Amino acid sequence: MTTTAPAAEAAAAPDERLAYRGPIQRLLIRPEIGALIGAAVIWVFFWAVTDVFGTTAGVNNYLDVSASLGIMSIAVALLMIGGEFDLSSGAITGATGMLVVLLVKEVGEFGGAGFPLSVAIPLTLIFALIIGWANGTLVEKTALPSFIVTLATFFILRGAKLGFAKLFTDKVIVEGLNDAPDHGFWENVFGAVWIRNDHVWDSFLGGRNVVYGVLLTVGALLLIVGVLELMFQRRETPAQARMPVAVVGFAAGVLGLILLAATDGTSDNWLWGIVLAAGGAVGMYGMGAWRYERRADSSAAVNLTGRVGRNVAMGGGAIALGVVLGLILDAESQTEIGFLLTVQGFRAIAYAGLIITGVILLLGAARSAGKTSARTQLAITSMAAAAIVVVAFIVQSQADSRKFRAEFFAVIIGAAVLMLAFGVLRSTFVERRKPDAVADKRGRTLAMTGIAVAFTGLAVRLMWATTFENETIRGEVRWRIAVFYFIGFAIVASYLLLRTKFGSWTFAVGGNKNAARQVGVPAARTKTILFMIVSAAGWLVGMLIAFRLNSVQANVGDGNEFFYIIAAVVGGNLLTGGYGSVIGASIGAVIMAMSFQGIPFAGWNSDWRFLFVGAILLLAVLVNNYVRAKAEAAS
Amino acid sequence: MSDPALLELDNISKYYGNIIALTGVTTSVNAGEVTCVLGDNGAGKSTFIKIIAGAHQQSEGTLRVEGQEVMFDSPRDALELGIATVYQDLAVVPLMSVWRNFFLGAEPTRGWGPFRRVDQEKASGIAKDEMAKMGIDIRDTEQAVGTLSGGERQSVAIARAAYFGAKVLILDEPTSALGVKQSGVVLKYIIEARNRGLGVIFITHNPNHAWPVGDRFLILNRGKSMGNFAKDEITRDELIMMMAGGAELEELTKELEAASAGDESLAHLAEEFAEEFHELEERVEDDDH
Repeated sequence: MTTTAPAAEAAAAPDERLAYRGPIQRLLIRPEIGALIGAAVIWVFFWAVTDVFGTTAGVNNYLDVSASLGIMSIAVALLMIGGEFDLSSGAITGATGMLVVLLVKEVGEFGGAGFPLSVAIPLTLIFALIIGWANGTLVEKTALPSFIVTLATFFILRGAKLGFAKLFTDKVIVEGLNDAPDHGFWENVFGAVWIRNDHVWDSFLGGRNVVYGVLLTVGALLLIVGVLELMFQRRETPAQARMPVAVVGFAAGVLGLILLAATDGTSDNWLWGIVLAAGGAVGMYGMGAWRYERRADSSAAVNLTGRVGRNVAMGGGAIALGVVLGLILDAESQTEIGFLLTVQGFRAIAYAGLIITGVILLLGAARSAGKTSARTQLAITSMAAAAIVVVAFIVQSQADSRKFRAEFFAVIIGAAVLMLAFGVLRSTFVERRKPDAVADKRGRTLAMTGIAVAFTGLAVRLMWATTFENETIRGEVRWRIAVFYFIGFAIVASYLLLRTKFGSWTFAVGGNKNAARQVGVPAARTKTILFMIVSAAGWLVGMLIAFRLNSVQANVGDGNEFFYIIAAVVGGNLLTGGYGSVIGASIGAVIMAMSFQGIPFAGWNSDWRFLFVGAILLLAVLVNNYVRAKAEAAS
Repeated sequence: MSDPALLELDNISKYYGNIIALTGVTTSVNAGEVTCVLGDNGAGKSTFIKIIAGAHQQSEGTLRVEGQEVMFDSPRDALELGIATVYQDLAVVPLMSVWRNFFLGAEPTRGWGPFRRVDQEKASGIAKDEMAKMGIDIRDTEQAVGTLSGGERQSVAIARAAYFGAKVLILDEPTSALGVKQSGVVLKYIIEARNRGLGVIFITHNPNHAWPVGDRFLILNRGKSMGNFAKDEITRDELIMMMAGGAELEELTKELEAASAGDESLAHLAEEFAEEFHELEERVEDDDH
């Protein structure tokens, strides 16, 4: 304790030391944020390099893979927040799957018990809960690290699986779950498959894509309004006369988008694009004039000297270099230039890398300029937006697929317009620097509703196929029930962690067990229940595996515990406990599944995927470390 | 005094096997008063806390809470009688938010069945108000306790104990890990708690922290009580003198002088030490006259 004394002494009075952290900054230190950014980057990457990744069939494919991984990562994340590990979490999935098959086999045959599934499935759950209880109790009673205790459980389960499989069947696989008399009912519970290829939605209400587009737009609009409400300082009395400007602007923007979606993305869409962009920008400005306080210092002259100027020059240079390289290198050339790269590949990497770097440099410069001169900030932001628009048009003129020409183009232009609009707003209106509970609540409600609406749109898109997709995509869209278990478990577990007493206790026993115990938290019981949640999740995944294949191999699940832990860590869960989130672990699982499936989609050798996973893990840990340092800054 | 004291210790002793950890300790704490327990390392302060917090049972002597003789079996017994302990380094969970820490283990809930959830608004509002009563403006109760300063973290634990109906607050070396300014902050909260009618037992090895806030002083040295004084029965210098054990201090001064033969810098130190000791001695004598 003595070492902390100087730090405490150096700290000034708490009020000056603790700067106000706005909702946006608070969002940035959430545990999930790293995973969310990672997921977006990886998604865009595979979307760009493969054809199937962005389609319903592609999403179906990697969500299917992420389901069993995700169910387990969520449980493992809860346990990790509680400060413990479970290395038997992989083996238990195979063990429960195998046990249920053995229990329903006829008596005498392979030593089976001949139970109906209605008996065998609950018995298997009880078995799993006993394993979890034993793990937890051993860890608590002996005070041994959970790493050691569950490593032992892992080997016991692994040995038992192989031993019993060989003993009863002479093979390393147990088969015949579908022999059970009540298999039909239970297959609906654990093995249901929903084939969506036949559900084509082309014409009603203008077809799937229009409904999807409208929901996405409404969602984005709500999100933007919510963010504005969170970001800016409210006027004491809103200038009601300006309200129509906001309404008309946003309405024009929505109209432009609907019409834009109705065109095929090649001909006269520029007109609707301009209507959309101008409408959105006017709407945002109108909203600002209506509701927010004006900046007093908005007239300070533009000043591009010192570090800001250097960064602007470097950023502009990087973008220019990227554009020039993009223009002079042959986009079709497959000539190898070393390091496994073709000219085409090098062009793509240099192009994307230089332009992203340039934009980041420009935005950084804008941010630091904003502290002194609002005009300089706006000038630099406009430069960045203009550069992005130029790049978008170059991409559009060169691209040979609709994906880049229409969708990518629209997203890039949209990003540039948003950036510019926010730039104008920030240089015109006062950003909030003090708490405002009313605005916080309203902004958060709007933003969350927006996200929910946008996700509903996404779900519409994933639930229905179009004739176009059915014709161009190989493979089927088969939604397995596992995906719904994954989503349902994510919601339930997140509620449990964030809204219940048990969740609070989970954070507490992982963060500071002695303090928790001191105030009356039943630490041992909390941890044991967490171990039991992990093994119960293992049971669920075991059932999903067993019903999917009707047979279970002896080595199923062995070694997967590391993937669960990686997914949890990628999702921002701290290895040392006390911090993390269920949503993060779910996103972590989706990231892993996207990389596993995206690599073969792209036609690369899937041996590389572990390299990919390793790199993601390392990055995630670095980000987490940084976040932890921020969250614990003063201690 | 007509009312019985909140907590009274009468001739308490504790033996661990053949080790005598504490002998013949007598003191009391009244509502709205601060009793300071002073002692150097190994003086028996931890044993003293453990007995009144219910973690250990005394071997001899009696413990009275509001006049009733009690024997604690567990910390929970002590807690139920309103005796709350704030340990210096296990007080809070740094990565958890202020309101979650405040209500940890006693979260208010609403709803029923599977929808029984923590009432965040209520919890967060109460935490904010209670902290405000201690003079700390927590603007955002969602912020992690780890982002608070050391003194404020202690005060979260103090405010929590006070809110949950503690009548006697035992503070285990709340200032020992803190700098000068932060210690001052904690002392302020101790006074705040006292003014709200709590009895505070403030355990410390720093007489300079104890003197300004204390109404009663119990001095421990090597497991023995060196005395139990009301504030008007003792001076600050006597307190310092007794705490370090006057005779021992004299012994130490001599030893230091002997060891410093041939070492100039050490000799210098020894000289200073001796000077300060004599000064202290003189001041104590002056006070006595």
